[in-house]
Amino acid sequence: MIWFLVGHEWRVLKASTIVRLVIAVFAIALVVASALGTARAEAERATIARFAVSVPHFQPAPGMIGDGATPSMRADFAANERGYLALLPPAPLSALAIGQGDVYPNYIKVTARSLDALVSGDQIEHPLAVASGQFDAAFVVLFLYPLLIFAVSFDLTATERDRGTLRMVLAQPVTLGEVVAGKMIVRVCKLLIPMLLITVGTAALFSPTGADFWPRAMLWVVAIVVYGAVWHGIALVVNARGFSAPANALVLAGIWLLFAVVGPSCVNLLIAIRYPMPSRVEAAVQARAATQDATVQGSRQLGQFLQDHPTSGNVGREGMRQFAMLQAERDRKVAERLQAVEATFNAQLEKQRRLASWLSVLSPTMIAQGVLLDVAGTSTERFDHFRAEAASFQRQWQSYFEPRVLDAATLTPAEFAAAPSFDFVEEPFTLTARRVAMPIIVMAIFAAVLIAIGFRSYRGYQL
Amino acid sequence: MIPGRLAPPKRLRGGAALAIAVKDATEIWRDGRFRWAAGLLLILLIAAIAGGVHNQSQIARQHADAQQAERDVWLDKGDMNPHAAAHYGAFVFKPVQPLSAIDPGLDPFVGVFVFLEAHKQQLARHRPIEDATPTRRLGQLTPASAALVLLPLLVVALTFSSFAGERDQGTLRPLLAMGISRRSLLAGKAMGAMLPLAAVIVPATIIGTLILIGNAPADPNAPIAARAAGIGAVYLIHTLIWVGLGLTISARSKSQGTALVILLAIWFANAFIMPPLAMAAAKWIDPSPSAIEFAAAIQDEKDSWPSWDQRVEKVMERFLDGEFESTMAPSNVEVVALLESEADETALYDRRFTELFQRYQRQARSFERVGAMAPTLAARSLSMALAGTDEAHDREFAAAAARYRTAMLTTLNGELASSGRFNTFDYTRGRDLWEKVPPFDYDVPSARWALSQVSWSASALVAWLIAIAIAAGWSVSSMRLE
Repeated sequence: MIWFLVGHEWRVLKASTIVRLVIAVFAIALVVASALGTARAEAERATIARFAVSVPHFQPAPGMIGDGATPSMRADFAANERGYLALLPPAPLSALAIGQGDVYPNYIKVTARSLDALVSGDQIEHPLAVASGQFDAAFVVLFLYPLLIFAVSFDLTATERDRGTLRMVLAQPVTLGEVVAGKMIVRVCKLLIPMLLITVGTAALFSPTGADFWPRAMLWVVAIVVYGAVWHGIALVVNARGFSAPANALVLAGIWLLFAVVGPSCVNLLIAIRYPMPSRVEAAVQARAATQDATVQGSRQLGQFLQDHPTSGNVGREGMRQFAMLQAERDRKVAERLQAVEATFNAQLEKQRRLASWLSVLSPTMIAQGVLLDVAGTSTERFDHFRAEAASFQRQWQSYFEPRVLDAATLTPAEFAAAPSFDFVEEPFTLTARRVAMPIIVMAIFAAVLIAIGFRSYRGYQL
Repeated sequence: MIPGRLAPPKRLRGGAALAIAVKDATEIWRDGRFRWAAGLLLILLIAAIAGGVHNQSQIARQHADAQQAERDVWLDKGDMNPHAAAHYGAFVFKPVQPLSAIDPGLDPFVGVFVFLEAHKQQLARHRPIEDATPTRRLGQLTPASAALVLLPLLVVALTFSSFAGERDQGTLRPLLAMGISRRSLLAGKAMGAMLPLAAVIVPATIIGTLILIGNAPADPNAPIAARAAGIGAVYLIHTLIWVGLGLTISARSKSQGTALVILLAIWFANAFIMPPLAMAAAKWIDPSPSAIEFAAAIQDEKDSWPSWDQRVEKVMERFLDGEFESTMAPSNVEVVALLESEADETALYDRRFTELFQRYQRQARSFERVGAMAPTLAARSLSMALAGTDEAHDREFAAAAARYRTAMLTTLNGELASSGRFNTFDYTRGRDLWEKVPPFDYDVPSARWALSQVSWSASALVAWLIAIAIAAGWSVSSMRLE
């Protein structure tokens, strides 16, 4: 029986101008968002590919000393000045969610020093672009999708009840629950199908589908289905209250505003006041104080070696060795002290972030945002993982080059070729899945409870 | 047929408008839903102002303390070589504008300090957004967002039924049959919506001003009255535009339901769709380089320069050729090489950074131009500019930091060059030289300058106000009565 109702409702909605308009707006928004996201991901991929090909430190380059026939390079120049560019390839689903990709850089310059071991400039996106947010599929899912869910379901039964047609429908051998379920199923499908087709379709067509792609796409689908179910659940509960259609619309608009806009922005204000992130400015001052002695002492010793500008001509190789030794010593001392300050800062940052993340359960939009970014691979976690990978590569790089730098050696092409190289290894998919499992389950429970309450309230619906 | 065409006496016209306004305002005021919505908005506005002032004063204190601590560290670092002092470097912290409490604008998205050192120039580092939780990207409640995003919603709620509601109930024709002109009707409806609005705006403004004055004592060096008045004017004009928009749509729509849907769609487009789309358009017109390309371009150029050894050798050759004999020759070729390389580096960074900032500026211009289609975007640009938290102010700060770096290096390296000693790098100096590098002092540009940077948005906002006033007049004079 329910499929008969679904078929009937499908035909009714097909004729509705509002539903057609809603679906058209939704499809256009999704196509534009997917196109913008894909263009960005493509550009990123092209950049990374370009820099990955010209692995900088293996090529003989200006600044080298040698007779030309057997190119060689000063070890400190190769290891530190040129260093190694560790690159982060675009995330599996980055076309769907730009996420934190406009905040964190996708490259880190690795050097063999203890200090300035990992150098990465900030991502140089226009600050206005970061502030305005990106018009990507995740944005459409998070904001527009719930609004359109409400737009198609604010009038599940109100008008039919007011016109008296609902009573006639119920004269048939169907229950009100079945009628409402049929209406819900159609509305869920009407929005969900184009959305899943457009988003997953674009990502599959325009981005290389690596091993992780399909499992991640599946999670993306699950997250969207569950997120949508929460909003459908809210719509059902409001409809079951028995208000008129315009009253439903007003209440639902208010709920959308509260959960998707006012809620998150209030929570963010609360976080800023209650759990402010530790100040980078104070950390910089502390770092300065902690490293002052080591820096000043080192500078004085190095002063004899013309600070950072020795030439083999004026101090000889032995002098260069001593210089390298002193510099490494100073760097190590400074780095040790810096690490203590940084460790405290990072621990504090982590703590605040953890505390703050609890507040996000207050809004489904905030929960879903975290899940979508994590699944797409553009969350903070993947960038943290990249940093950790680069840090462990730095230790290899340092252990390979440091003895040569301390020896003030020049390198042969064979020695270049034997230098370690970096390949980013994605975090295992299971880790991502485990991280997002909890929020997805929470949303699913919310949705189930709301839908159950909705159907239960419909039992007492006044015809 | 249309009574509006028979103009009633002037006195009656004004009186009728007032009567309509009072009647509408009273009705709205008695509506429990309005009281709830207005009360909630008022609470949000006050919370936003209090929170904004709290955060602003916290960050401002941190930055001011840090700048002081940095100055002490710089002066007390003991004796060292002047060039070693240049390597030791100096931190410059971005001063926090008092009005960032009202509109933090781009502050969370730009670096909070710059490290100035020899040979390298950096962009400001550590944007607060990097440390924030990812949910921060969903936006934070600020007085500016409450005034520019939430307040228009209340305006929509107050105006969508102004004419459409009367028409739905069939009271529009009788109303005009009483001899009220359409112009008076429009004036009455506009005032009727604005009176209840004043119940939110006036207390919020008074409380906001009190909190602002109480927490951020007036700094004689940073007069903010003009800027604050400007921000108030922008919010007021923006609200008036929304009142006009609401009345226009209400007059033209078939039913109040349609009016509400259209107004909400316009609101959603203004607040949510336009900002990212305008920025996407701006980036399409002027693509930004990626961080890696930007860094690589600088590195490539540096790689093409002679190495330090080669530089020193060349200077030595020039020295032997007698190039320096006629001038006050520095006694050490390495110092000449150092000064020359420093000059090359500064020129390189200046050129690259200027290119980048010019690109940002062009993107911001395109954003403004595309954004002129949406009054909220124009108002947002103006609000950030007046609060001193937009891209132009950040660019000014970056330029000031770069100038300070150049001055610092000139003082330190110049001292090295004029020391007249052979082994210049062995030469140490102390506090007296460090004191010659003045503390970093950044003067925020005037409100007039800030406005001149966003003249397009200012014109757009005024144009919107005029256009919407004309549109409202025309819509009401030609609206259907049933």
